[in-house]
Amino acid sequence: MDLFNPAFWLFVAAIAGIYAIMALGLYAQFSLAGLPNFGNVAFMAVAAYAMAILVVRLNVPLPLAACGGIVAAVLLAFIVGIPSLRLRADYLAIATVAASEVVRYLAMNLPDLTGGPLGSIGMLGPGQVAMYNGAWLALINFLTPVGIPRDATVAALVWIFAVLAIAALADLQRSPWGRVMKAIREDEAAATAAGKHVFAFKMQALVLGAVLGAIAGELLACQIGVFSPDDYQPTLTFYAYLILILGGSNRIWAIPLGSVLFSLLYSGTRFLNFFPLSLIDSGARAFLRLFLIGLLLVLFMAIRPQGILGNRYELLLDK
Amino acid sequence: MMLEVQDLRRSFGGVAAVDGVSFAVAEGTITALIGPNGAGKTTVFNLVSGFLRPHDGRIRFTGRRIDGLRGDAVARAGLVRTFQTPRVLTRVSVLENLMLAAPDQPGERFGMCWIARRRVAQRERDVRQQAAEMLTLLRLEHLAADYAGTLSGGQRKLLELGRALMAAPRMILLDEPMAGIAPVLALQLLDHIRALLTQRGVTVFLIEHDMEMVMGVSDRVIVMDEGRVIAEGTPQAVQRDERVIEAYLGRAA
Amino acid sequence: MTQQLLQLLLNGLITGTVLALTGVGATLVFGIQRVANFAHGELLTFGAYTGLLVNVVLGQNIVVSALAAMLATAVLALVLHLAVLHPLRGRGLVATSLITVGLALMLRDLVFLTAGSELHAYRLDQSVVYNLGLIRISPGQAVAIAIAIVVVPSLTLILARTPLGKSMRATADNRDLAAVAGIDVDRIGRQVWLVAGALAGLGGVMTAVVQGVFDPNLGFQILFMIFTTVVLGGIGSAYGALVGGIVLGLVMELSTWSGFAGGLDSKYKPVLAFVALILLLLWRPQGLFGRARVL
Repeated sequence: MDLFNPAFWLFVAAIAGIYAIMALGLYAQFSLAGLPNFGNVAFMAVAAYAMAILVVRLNVPLPLAACGGIVAAVLLAFIVGIPSLRLRADYLAIATVAASEVVRYLAMNLPDLTGGPLGSIGMLGPGQVAMYNGAWLALINFLTPVGIPRDATVAALVWIFAVLAIAALADLQRSPWGRVMKAIREDEAAATAAGKHVFAFKMQALVLGAVLGAIAGELLACQIGVFSPDDYQPTLTFYAYLILILGGSNRIWAIPLGSVLFSLLYSGTRFLNFFPLSLIDSGARAFLRLFLIGLLLVLFMAIRPQGILGNRYELLLDK
Repeated sequence: MMLEVQDLRRSFGGVAAVDGVSFAVAEGTITALIGPNGAGKTTVFNLVSGFLRPHDGRIRFTGRRIDGLRGDAVARAGLVRTFQTPRVLTRVSVLENLMLAAPDQPGERFGMCWIARRRVAQRERDVRQQAAEMLTLLRLEHLAADYAGTLSGGQRKLLELGRALMAAPRMILLDEPMAGIAPVLALQLLDHIRALLTQRGVTVFLIEHDMEMVMGVSDRVIVMDEGRVIAEGTPQAVQRDERVIEAYLGRAA
Repeated sequence: MTQQLLQLLLNGLITGTVLALTGVGATLVFGIQRVANFAHGELLTFGAYTGLLVNVVLGQNIVVSALAAMLATAVLALVLHLAVLHPLRGRGLVATSLITVGLALMLRDLVFLTAGSELHAYRLDQSVVYNLGLIRISPGQAVAIAIAIVVVPSLTLILARTPLGKSMRATADNRDLAAVAGIDVDRIGRQVWLVAGALAGLGGVMTAVVQGVFDPNLGFQILFMIFTTVVLGGIGSAYGALVGGIVLGLVMELSTWSGFAGGLDSKYKPVLAFVALILLLLWRPQGLFGRARVL
């Protein structure tokens, strides 16, 4: 049974690591700079699509295409960021999620470019199967010792990157740069009077978030091997928020805790085969999962917004 | 002249808040900007410090044009301001509030903390030292590790003053420094302001609503009413000026 | 071309009316709550499915179903307000937005769990088509038109003439001023939620019959158009939402007219609403009619 199958849990571990990177990208924007970007999934989508299109249509080697995807996400950050950074918090939230929906609609409706609703499968047109992650699979195969599931390598790579990235951002947070960000979060006028160019700092956080989101999106696309516009719905952004909130949205090292808990929750619902949940068929379990995610969002924001490990006083959520 | 303002104009919704204001502030002086409520004093401050864009006019600081510069650029040029209600960062420690304002911190450049570790750490040590000395000067050293949110109103004013000084400015704009402070603390603040001038060579330009407070400390006084400068001179001269008396008495202040 | 134009006009008016009715409720709530409610679309979904239950399972006609939907959704809206949003007010813009997102997920997936993800339809013979000269009307559209003819004038009258309507408009427009003027803001807040819920329930039923077939994503698909309607008309302005909804509906449908250099591909109609929303928020958040207010 799946519950004791290590290959399954390795797969979950790999996804958890990718989600941790995604949540870190959100951390850079939301927890460091105070920007409630509700459209984060757009960075992931744009990067994955750019990468796949470059590989499949223009025969660009995967590592270069991956860089191209990151560049595409950063471009999006500039296009969206420059006008909207001065918006009030909830308007920024609405504008960014509207923007991410525009991206998804464009991906859905430009089949010649993006494969339309079929996504990456349809990128080369009907009848031709498009695969973009050949080089990734080859790398994983190369790195994996005989007898070990491939997902172990993926999980290891992903988590090593995640931990290094978190450590780097923790450094950044402790540095004078992080101090300026903290000031900007609380009082932009004070930061300006202290000689700091607030807009430039916010853009830096946004671009950092875009880069991390791009990496997460590309890893996800490579790991799963196929994607479509439906994989990039706003719900994904809210997974990242829940991960941050679970662990503690102002504690960077709580991100691994949050992403592991979230992944356990997400994949664990398939094991709930006892009454009354066994009444729900496995297809409908997906909806139960989403219901629980919504419930957790509400419960944590209501009762414990600082998450499991966070510090309530420094949270500044009452702005 | 350290600060020269020529024909400054700014309106809001068609109403002129600052209507052709010109004045100059000499280096090494304490100059006060006074006038009844609504005279446009804070608007002048906001225009000079870059927090508002002027609709017309020229502003020169140490000979250089600064009208149109952003607030942070003006601050970096050596003209630092405080706020009427002190804007301290409540969720940050008192010491870090001061450290924020130190200029030339390589660690504030994105990525420098990774590629220039030693340089960043060295500057941090220097900045921390400087901030600790400032706290001692302000007699707040026992509060260094506390959240600034726990400070009283008067202590916050001192902290904001200290933050302004951390940048080693040429000139400070103080927006109603005595407002909302108990008289005893106000005297202490007055001492600090005088000390600023003598010890550090900082020019002071302050807004104050209360004429009495200001007379004892200023070298020159500029009086505004309804968006214009109506008088300028020594405190004694201004106090006797008929137009000034009328401006203050001619409305239910 | 003319025939297409007239048909698009009709479609636009119908879409616009749904947006207008739902928008009135949404703008009143947003004006008083002062935070964007991402769960508002799910109220429409709930209304559509409650009506479906009454129509298909209980065998009632459309009118009874619509009324049942309005009642049920009004109650749901009030419960959400009293149990979750009112106790948690003042948490801050982002926290409240996230809470409404969580509520939206819960509502939508409860409907998915109970009703399933297959497409459903009301008991309307969709094969019948009414021909009115140059244009054609489907049964669903006929129902929507009938509802609109009854509800829109009544709603406008209630908003304009009754004390309740006036208090609601005043509170949504400027909550603090209304409180100072002696209006019991909390009580009006509750009533506004009931009205918004009822209108959302009705909007859900109308959307469902006009679309013909629907699934639980109905509300989410229309959520951003509701946001656009609210912002277009000015947040808190009931009349603005009425006009804004009709304008948006017409613009979206007419944009596909071939007379406009071939016209926009109808796939992109929602994108129009998204882009309009983003542009409005960036450059004219007070909408077409509002004064620039600091919320």
